[in-house]
Amino acid sequence: MSAPAKSRERGAERSSHGEPAIRVESLTKLYRRMAPGDRFRTLKSALLDGSLTSGLSQDKAITALRDVSFTVGRGEAFGVIGGNGSGKSTLLKIVAGILRPTSGETVADGRVAALIELGAGFHPEISGRENVYFNGSILGLGRREIDQRFDDIVAFSGLEDFIDEPVKNYSSGMYVRLGFAVAIHTDPDVLLVDEVLAVGDEAFAHRCIHRIEEFLASGRTLLFVSHGLDLVEALCDRVMWLDRGVGKLVGEPRRVVDAYRQAVAEEESRGHREEQERRLETRARDSNGTGETERWGSREAEIVAVRLIDAEGHETHLLESGRDAAVEIDVRAPAPLEDFVFGVAVNTPRGIEVWGTNTHLEGFAPRRLDGAATVRVRCPALRLAAGEYTLDVAVHAEDGAPYDYHRRALTFTVTARVRSVGLYNPEHRWEHDGGVEWKEGD
Amino acid sequence: MLEAARQILRYRSLLWNLTVREIKARYRGSALGFLWSLANPLLLLAVYSLVFGFIFQQRIEGASPYPLFLICGLFPWIWISTSILEGTMSLIANAGLIRKSAFPAELLPVVSVLSNLVHFLLALPILAAALLVGRFLLGSDVGGLSFLLLPVVVVLQLPMIAGIALGLSALNVHFKDVRDLTINAMTLLFFLSPILYLLSALPEKLQLLIHLNPFTPFVLAYQEVLFHGMVPGPVRWLAMIGVSILLWALGASLFERLRDTLVEAA
Repeated sequence: MSAPAKSRERGAERSSHGEPAIRVESLTKLYRRMAPGDRFRTLKSALLDGSLTSGLSQDKAITALRDVSFTVGRGEAFGVIGGNGSGKSTLLKIVAGILRPTSGETVADGRVAALIELGAGFHPEISGRENVYFNGSILGLGRREIDQRFDDIVAFSGLEDFIDEPVKNYSSGMYVRLGFAVAIHTDPDVLLVDEVLAVGDEAFAHRCIHRIEEFLASGRTLLFVSHGLDLVEALCDRVMWLDRGVGKLVGEPRRVVDAYRQAVAEEESRGHREEQERRLETRARDSNGTGETERWGSREAEIVAVRLIDAEGHETHLLESGRDAAVEIDVRAPAPLEDFVFGVAVNTPRGIEVWGTNTHLEGFAPRRLDGAATVRVRCPALRLAAGEYTLDVAVHAEDGAPYDYHRRALTFTVTARVRSVGLYNPEHRWEHDGGVEWKEGD
Repeated sequence: MLEAARQILRYRSLLWNLTVREIKARYRGSALGFLWSLANPLLLLAVYSLVFGFIFQQRIEGASPYPLFLICGLFPWIWISTSILEGTMSLIANAGLIRKSAFPAELLPVVSVLSNLVHFLLALPILAAALLVGRFLLGSDVGGLSFLLLPVVVVLQLPMIAGIALGLSALNVHFKDVRDLTINAMTLLFFLSPILYLLSALPEKLQLLIHLNPFTPFVLAYQEVLFHGMVPGPVRWLAMIGVSILLWALGASLFERLRDTLVEAA
């Protein structure tokens, strides 16, 4: 789904005046673990004080949200991002009044509509028309209000030809379209949206986003939960990052989304490092006995260590596209050598060769390699696109006979400020002549 | 228990829509439609009449013609028991609705009670026809103007059935055993109600046991206004009012206690 241009005025003045539309104060939500042995204890506490979690020790309860607070001003679009299980949906359901918080409180001012699962409560056996009336009344509309909006709802859903069919004959996309159409026509003051726009087709998703933008332009309030970071960034005025139930950062969308992306990339990079450590261990085990597949050679020269160095000169597994990067190879030759070539190669995890070179191809003539040495390949501006890559390094003779060949010596991640497609990210700019006008991107 | 009542009144138009939806959905796509809702009562009526009326030749003073006596207790009982069984399952059956939208869950058990009440009302013409045939063609002394009190008995019983359905539906969300317990309890209570037999035909000790069944005063009242053609006495009215209020209060307050935890457990 492509990100829509943010055409609305974003700014403090829209979000600052009057009472907040949504206020969330030190919200905490515990779920009980479903261990069979606790059933009767939970029944007892449920009957005595209406709680499923009291009387349970901490390890029997799961904390979905811990002390989360924020306010959303009238007319503001507020986004919530975070990984799976970070508590985003629980938060939305509590604001919607579907779930009760364990402690803390939420207030949402005015008519609230929650788009959590579109068409929840559609009955498969009855017609689309009847379901519109029924769904509308669940969402708080009277019969006459639905009468007035019925044609708009059907037109928006694009289901004129099917409205008298039982909804069990609808495709899942049609189901979602009718559900969204009913919900958005309830004319809410506060709209809560949980990841539902990903279900319909592209054209319908655009129509929904357009409708949400109109909704915001008329001064109403949006709480938006999504994994679509670009969409969140484009649509929202402020964003909160939830990390395992804790509000980690709230603020300007670009800043929060970037911080979140950075954290995700670091998490992945930590994964790479652990993987590499595991691989080294395996290798250590392999070297005293059975042959290994990822490293081979006569060891007349041996690669002792391989490091990736970022622009600041630190060792890393995370590089940024367009910035300085280097590969450092520590090598040791037990006896002097006069025939040697250093090589590096970058591949994708699925084995596509991205780039490879060696000192022989680049015209270096070997003289002498003796004892410990360090060889460095520096790229002043790394032109890889964002993604994951693996690095092979090797020392071998000019005729190709390997001294030490290291396949997948390490794995690394490249991030990019601006997204692109493919593997190569050359320096570039857009120019124009004649009848083109645009506001340039950043 | 007041909170549940308030919610139900507040959402009465939604309650109505839900009930209509339930009834429409049940018969959509079936050729015989609502006639099916008559099949089971008539089948039971035929079997019990055959077994007790003709095979065992039960001839009890005050309960003949036996099929007519039977129908006056059996039809209301079918409303009662299907309401309670469906009501118990209603929250689980509609888990999608209460998990995904801010939906007043107390409506669902009440919808089960009301949609089954509609089926009961739709079966009344059969009951009426049977009584008319008995009175005017067979010359039996059954029925009378007291049938006008039927709506009063039904309305008095509504809080009782709704209360039971509310309480059991909330419990059933947490403990699936409730469903099986309810099914068996309702079977037991059927035989502990004076539907197949006349209460006065039992030994006194057994009569006492039957009187402990909270459904008994209602079954007797249905038989009085429909079959015996008499107005129930004051004790009967008081018993019905008392039982109905008590069971509503119990069921509704149990529901309210469990209210906060329903959504996450459903």
